[in-house]
Amino acid sequence: MAGHLSLKRVIPTYMSAEEVLPSEVYLQEDVRLQLDKRYLLLAQSGDGKTSLLNILYGNNRHFHGSVDYPWGNSLAVDSVRKEKFSYVFQDLKLFPSLTALENIQIKNALTGHKSEEEILGMLERVGLKHKAQTLAASLSLGQRQRVAVIRALCQPFQMLLLDEPFSHLDAENSTILVGLIQEELEKQRAGLIMTSLSPSNVFDFDQILKLSL
Amino acid sequence: MINRLQRGTLQIPQLVGFMLSLTLGSIILLLTLQLFVDINSLLEKETDVFAQDCVVINKNISVLRSYNKEGIYFSEKEIDELEAQSFTKSVSPFKVATFEVEAQIKGASGMSMLATELFFESIPNEYLDVPLDRWVWDEQSDVIPIVIPESYINLYNFGFAESQNLPVISQKTIEQVDFDIRIKGLGGRGSFRGSIVGFSNKINSILVPEEFLDWSNQRFGKGPIQKANRLLVEFNDPSDEAILQFFNAQNYSINENELEASKLKFIFKTALSFSFFIALVIVILSITSVLLSFSLVIQRNVEQISTLYLLGFSLATIARYYRRVLGVSTMLALLTAYLITYFIHDLVASSLATYFAWKPEEDFLLIGAIALFGVVFVLGQWKLIRAVKQVIKA
Repeated sequence: MAGHLSLKRVIPTYMSAEEVLPSEVYLQEDVRLQLDKRYLLLAQSGDGKTSLLNILYGNNRHFHGSVDYPWGNSLAVDSVRKEKFSYVFQDLKLFPSLTALENIQIKNALTGHKSEEEILGMLERVGLKHKAQTLAASLSLGQRQRVAVIRALCQPFQMLLLDEPFSHLDAENSTILVGLIQEELEKQRAGLIMTSLSPSNVFDFDQILKLSL
Repeated sequence: MINRLQRGTLQIPQLVGFMLSLTLGSIILLLTLQLFVDINSLLEKETDVFAQDCVVINKNISVLRSYNKEGIYFSEKEIDELEAQSFTKSVSPFKVATFEVEAQIKGASGMSMLATELFFESIPNEYLDVPLDRWVWDEQSDVIPIVIPESYINLYNFGFAESQNLPVISQKTIEQVDFDIRIKGLGGRGSFRGSIVGFSNKINSILVPEEFLDWSNQRFGKGPIQKANRLLVEFNDPSDEAILQFFNAQNYSINENELEASKLKFIFKTALSFSFFIALVIVILSITSVLLSFSLVIQRNVEQISTLYLLGFSLATIARYYRRVLGVSTMLALLTAYLITYFIHDLVASSLATYFAWKPEEDFLLIGAIALFGVVFVLGQWKLIRAVKQVIKA
């Protein structure tokens, strides 16, 4: 059985108990997130969805409570980000001075997870092969979102974190991207935490966690 | 890929500026240090047996004093007063022989070739640079070591020998000749052998070891001498202006030239210290400016660096490119500085070598350049890593 992440009485320091309660995650005694399960984090804007993902990713230390990882809490943060968690950031975090392909390659060079052909194949599937050599700065938001998702798939992981990944995509493109992510999740037998403003079941979620009721 | 990403964040003019100022600062710094070493070794290469920073003083002999000889002696009070001056390190009176001395050089036949009347004086051993194994005397010794003024040989070679049609002699030759020394005083007569072991152009006297003078004064002369007509004064800082002021005020005679070498050394050292200081400021400024500009590069690219960290790049990997650029540019700047300094120093050294029998210490430059590189390199790397760390911890 895969391990689980355990959150105990977690709350960002910049949020008050009144703001987060009632929540199914924040300030709860022990919230366990299985590494082979899929979770949807549902909340309104400003209710701490991104904060929670950042807390899990080790990128936000401004919180009370504790988070325990199945691989131990002492694993170096760069190793965690190369092997355990993959994250599609809400603001995507692409390098504007690199091309679409280079933005993916820079991550893949770190992990060696995919071949060049596989990357180009993925770009083709999401309809961006012709934009491979275009600077990220010149891509549309929707195109950048697709590049960011492909980049996140270029590494081994046990849990994929998606922060409103389809917010700028039409239904057709979202479906293509969901397919791509599904395949990688199954291949890696990994779990998923996705945030969303509205209920969705694109990934057959095992559990929906509401950050605000 | 990460190199390509980070290359775009560097500004070439800034880097060139750093390298130029570091090169310039290092050239001045290395050159100053090298000159410091050169001048020191030049000035310390004195042939005189008399210790540095030391002079002989006596009272001026006036018309009045030529009638009343008591006036030429230093009183206890005067010696104490001199000792109390801030520039004085130590004061020692000359000891004078209270008996007559005659020296003779005998030819192969035993006939006297040259005979002259002499006098002996002595000063404490620590004021002389004669090797101590040659500057010893005890009652069992056959030979009395003697130091004479360099000018005596010159007087003989260029004056006396010339007029009498005698051969000239070198310092080395005279050191190998033994003299017969005859002593005549209240305590009777004595016969000894003497050998010249050194020359001085600072002390106008014929010196023998203190042990011999004490013993012979007791044995042949009028006993230990209480009065001193000449004093040896050792200074803390021979360039101190107060020295000449004091001696003029007291009407003591001092050979100002004797202070010249020390003064010169002091002036050189001051000038070099000043240029060393300027060079140090330039080097520090150039290091500070590059560290600042690298900090700026890092500050300007906080977003990029934190994204790299978010993607799983380690601190070491993120800093590597900047560290390499800084390391290589530091090395290039110092290599250039070393080569230019070496070239300049070579020119200076060869021109100095035509004036002085002196060999520059050449290893110094390389060691200096390597040390400077080490300091700048370590400082730069430390600062860079710190700056990157600050960004990713934020």
